[in-house]
Amino acid sequence: MDSLITAAARALASGDALGALKRVALRDDAPALALRGIAMAQLGDLVRAKALLKSAARAFGPREAVARARCVVAEAEIALVSRDLIWPPKALESARRVLEAHGDRVNAAHAGNVAIRRLVLIGRLDEAERALAALDPAPLPPALRTAHELVAAGIAVRRLQTQAARAALDRARLSARAAAIPALTAEVETAALVLDTPAARLISHGREHPLLLTEVEALLSSSTLVVDACRHVVWNAGTAVSLATRPVLFALARTLAEAWPGDVARGTLIARAFRGKHADESHRARLRVEIGRLRAELRGLAEVSATKRGFALSPRGAREIAVLAPLVEGAHGAVLAFLADGEAWSSSALAIALAASPRTVQRALDSLAGEGKVQSLGRGRARRWMSAPLPGFPTILLLPGPLPSD
Amino acid sequence: MKKSAANILREYGPFLGAERVNGVTFDGEHVWFASGDKLNALDPASGEVVRSIEVASHAGTAFDGEFLYQIAEDVIHKIDPKTGHILSTIPAPGNGGDSGLAWAEGTLWVGQHRGRRIHQIDPETGKILRTIESNRVVTGVTWVDGQLWHGTWEGDDSDVRRINPETGEVLERLDMPEGTGVSGLESDGGDCFFCGGGGSGKIRAVRRPG
Repeated sequence: MDSLITAAARALASGDALGALKRVALRDDAPALALRGIAMAQLGDLVRAKALLKSAARAFGPREAVARARCVVAEAEIALVSRDLIWPPKALESARRVLEAHGDRVNAAHAGNVAIRRLVLIGRLDEAERALAALDPAPLPPALRTAHELVAAGIAVRRLQTQAARAALDRARLSARAAAIPALTAEVETAALVLDTPAARLISHGREHPLLLTEVEALLSSSTLVVDACRHVVWNAGTAVSLATRPVLFALARTLAEAWPGDVARGTLIARAFRGKHADESHRARLRVEIGRLRAELRGLAEVSATKRGFALSPRGAREIAVLAPLVEGAHGAVLAFLADGEAWSSSALAIALAASPRTVQRALDSLAGEGKVQSLGRGRARRWMSAPLPGFPTILLLPGPLPSD
Repeated sequence: MKKSAANILREYGPFLGAERVNGVTFDGEHVWFASGDKLNALDPASGEVVRSIEVASHAGTAFDGEFLYQIAEDVIHKIDPKTGHILSTIPAPGNGGDSGLAWAEGTLWVGQHRGRRIHQIDPETGKILRTIESNRVVTGVTWVDGQLWHGTWEGDDSDVRRINPETGEVLERLDMPEGTGVSGLESDGGDCFFCGGGGSGKIRAVRRPG
């Protein structure tokens, strides 16, 4: 370490990014490039930061593997924060291994965290959960532990495990306080809002009211038969039947559930399920077929019986039937509802699930993306769509220490 | 070239309030070390820090028999150890890329870290008198018994080496254990070197081969 690098690193560590830049602004050696990159990232110029860190990684010598690996991790975090998901995860993993092999446990753990955040972002929750469980947060400094707990909370929210989410958020709050970074504390508080904000509507016995996430969780694990219009699934006591790719069947199930304990006239069912078409004999025949299919799908959970004027749903083991609906309905609402599962959807999959034309879905996605409510990754046929932003997902940069030679 | 493993005699620190050791020197009684915003006087017998001077201290430290010299950012301060006052300031030859400082024969010797060289400068003006090229990163410089030694530290590899001051040729090398870096070097005038340990916050006494 030389004099100005030490001085600049000290400035950066105390949060004085401009002071750090001032000291190394004119230098192009590897440690100076790395420091400039991290300072620019903290100042929000992610494009410039990325370029600087890339050249820093190249400029470090063959003996400076740790310094180079730290640059790669910082680059990966910037890519993640700027939602550049094309960035190669393999480079991050090999940097993590280098840091671990050289005893830099903190930055190795940080690299692991970045990798997990990426998995959450692209909707690979199972993998993210496994990786998170394998990572011990104990040796992490408070700021990194906060990020770790926020990711844990984010996954728990997606999994509708509100108790686990609350516990993770409490731990995140404590370590954010220990880290004494105001932006991080604010981020935890924003993430925690998701537990105190209505997440869905409950429609039951002709009335509706908003539900918190905890209440949604309780509802789904209760003995009530729930027709979930957020994910297009029918639940009963932990058993799920997905109708996500069967929009007609789901529309029938929802219409019947909303009317429960009453029945629904054939004409109404045809109008709701077949998109407002006037009921004629062929529609009646098709309705019979679809009701037969629904009966088969729901076997074990509910019965669909014929009445004088139409059909009625009755629960098998459950005492009650309720509909769980998204807060906002309509074409855009339905798109958002599907994306709320945290998975990365292709627009054609959404079109199937929504029973809408690919053009309609594309228009909805474009307008939601314009409002910043959804984001896409990939190009062409590989393009995937996700809801944005994620609850409990840290956006601030934590970046590994820039000190290259020790 | 003679090559051997460094023989570490004793470790000091890490010290409270001093996260790093950026430079070391010896005034005959105390080891002074630069910790970023302070110069600290360590009693090598007890291992205790007995005094501190508030001054920016980002790299090498030296002692001329009366005054301390300290690299801060891209300058070298001359400091009165009695009062802690900065007496004068000269530009550092490496424009802030400096690491390692030694006093010998009326001049200052400054390591230029990634420049991989050592400059001899006029302590009054900072004018470069001559430059010795090294083939490794320089992280500490000291003169003892007419021998010029310097520390190197690149990644996991660090050593203390004696070079020919005329040609830069490496005459002798003491390899530090893996993961033990040298960020400042000073001899006690006898058979012991004090080596700063960078971010480890430690100072190590290493035996100088006789």
